[in-house]
Amino acid sequence: MSNSSANILDIKNIEVRYDDVILALHDVSLKVPKGKVVALLGANGAGKSTTLKAVSTMLASERGKVTNGSIEYDGNSIDKQTPSQMVGLGMVQVLEGRRCFGHLTVEENIISGAYSRKLSKSDINQELEKIYTYFIRLKERRKSQAAFTSGGEQQMIAVARAMMAKPKMLLLDEPTMGLAPQLVAEIFNIVKELNTKEGVSILLAEQNTNVALKNSDYGYIIETGRVMLDGTAESLLNDDKVKELYLGISKKGRKNFRDVLKEESLTKRSN
Amino acid sequence: MVDELLFFMEVVVGGLLAGTMYSLVALGFVLIFKASATFNFSQGAMVFFSVLAFCGFMQDFNIPFVLAFILAALLMVVVGLCTERLVLRPLMNASEDTVLMATIGLGYVLEGLAQAAWGVEVRRLDLGIGDFPVPWIADNLKLFISALDIFAGLVAALMIIGLFLLFKYTKIGLGLRAVADDAGAASSIGIPLKHIMLLVWSAAGVVALVAGCMWGARAGVQFALVDLALKALPVLIIGGFSSIPGAIVGGLIIGATEKVLEVYIGPFFGGAIEGWAPYVLAIFFLLYRPEGLFGEKIIRRV
Repeated sequence: MSNSSANILDIKNIEVRYDDVILALHDVSLKVPKGKVVALLGANGAGKSTTLKAVSTMLASERGKVTNGSIEYDGNSIDKQTPSQMVGLGMVQVLEGRRCFGHLTVEENIISGAYSRKLSKSDINQELEKIYTYFIRLKERRKSQAAFTSGGEQQMIAVARAMMAKPKMLLLDEPTMGLAPQLVAEIFNIVKELNTKEGVSILLAEQNTNVALKNSDYGYIIETGRVMLDGTAESLLNDDKVKELYLGISKKGRKNFRDVLKEESLTKRSN
Repeated sequence: MVDELLFFMEVVVGGLLAGTMYSLVALGFVLIFKASATFNFSQGAMVFFSVLAFCGFMQDFNIPFVLAFILAALLMVVVGLCTERLVLRPLMNASEDTVLMATIGLGYVLEGLAQAAWGVEVRRLDLGIGDFPVPWIADNLKLFISALDIFAGLVAALMIIGLFLLFKYTKIGLGLRAVADDAGAASSIGIPLKHIMLLVWSAAGVVALVAGCMWGARAGVQFALVDLALKALPVLIIGGFSSIPGAIVGGLIIGATEKVLEVYIGPFFGGAIEGWAPYVLAIFFLLYRPEGLFGEKIIRRV
């Protein structure tokens, strides 16, 4: 990653605490270059969601706080911003678990994404039509109540809703959670399309390491609130440790990076 | 026989129309419940505060009726603004129970402020509509129905239509429904919660003012209005806490049943059962249909 102006997001050594006590992130640094897809990988509780919420400033509503380090978005510090201001600046988070407005129709859900923008009725319809070209399936179901659509459709609603805010950057939190492999592929196709055609930069938190890396440019692996490894998606896919720990091609009984590092230091010492 | 039937009709219609007054009070509760998932215990105090201010503007400052009403409505917007800024925002991350307790406290503050500013004596409020049977209906249909009841029914209908249009077809209405469904998700796509809260509390304040006018014209503007507003609780249990049509139908059901019970069953209990009969009805609903008639069911896909 070269000069800083090429990065839309630059996280430097952040530490995050909940309730002023619980340390959720120890030291996380990562960069998202403009127009790229970056994957943030790790198991449950590793700190993926916390990192994304630190960026979208949604931490505050969960009594979390960035207690150290800095986050720069588009060259400016995000300190003291509110979630709605971040949306206004073009940074939109798609929360984990889809979180559609169940009692609203599919179309109302999508339109609600344009709330922060001052658009006329005809502008909204125009944007809506454009968004439906990416989410063809949703157009057929536009009048259904969102709670009655399938899990895959709800994920599409959540992404479509975020796109209505005209983001420069999307934060996707586990978009494929609980979806069938076919739908996982469909969601990633749409994400890739939004990235290339609309130029949206994407930071993607995933447990699905294999699919995520295949659809990303760069990847970070975090464990217990620390970045353990980062590299281009290709290098991570071919990394032996990643293969063993995250792609399920296991040799011994090693469970996480800490074990790997411990073993390596032991072998070094005995040599 | 005919006389008895007519009398029964009169009781039911009178009850239904009186029920619209309950509906008006319940509407204020529904608005706030939708946005903050909290039962606003200060709604009764808001009714009392707003209508006392309205009377105060007219009687102490000789401000004309319409202007005084507008001033009182604006005052309720200011109350909404202060509530959002001083009570809700500091409690943004607190549990719903904490907010509930805060509304009880807010109620005491409003009661105290109202009495400090306008005094404690009962005031008369004259809307220009008498609380006596309409002669035309009495002559032609042989029913004795109060003009005030009919007026309250009309006002309630207008408010409901207005609120329905606001929620269904405006941007801020969409925002409110989104917040009601999932406040976190709404904030993640840039819907500013504080604007929605401000809107909801102001709207609830204006609804309280209208309800207060109706009740004040009937029973006098006095402290008892605070407790009267609690009748909205059984109304909401029956109608559903998050539903505007529910508030209306719940009010009508409570109004009609309490009058019918009072007239036909009350004598066996020594009268005055309309004070507690609605709560008994509410208990049955809690047992057999806890979401109320129109409450939003928890939608679960299987």
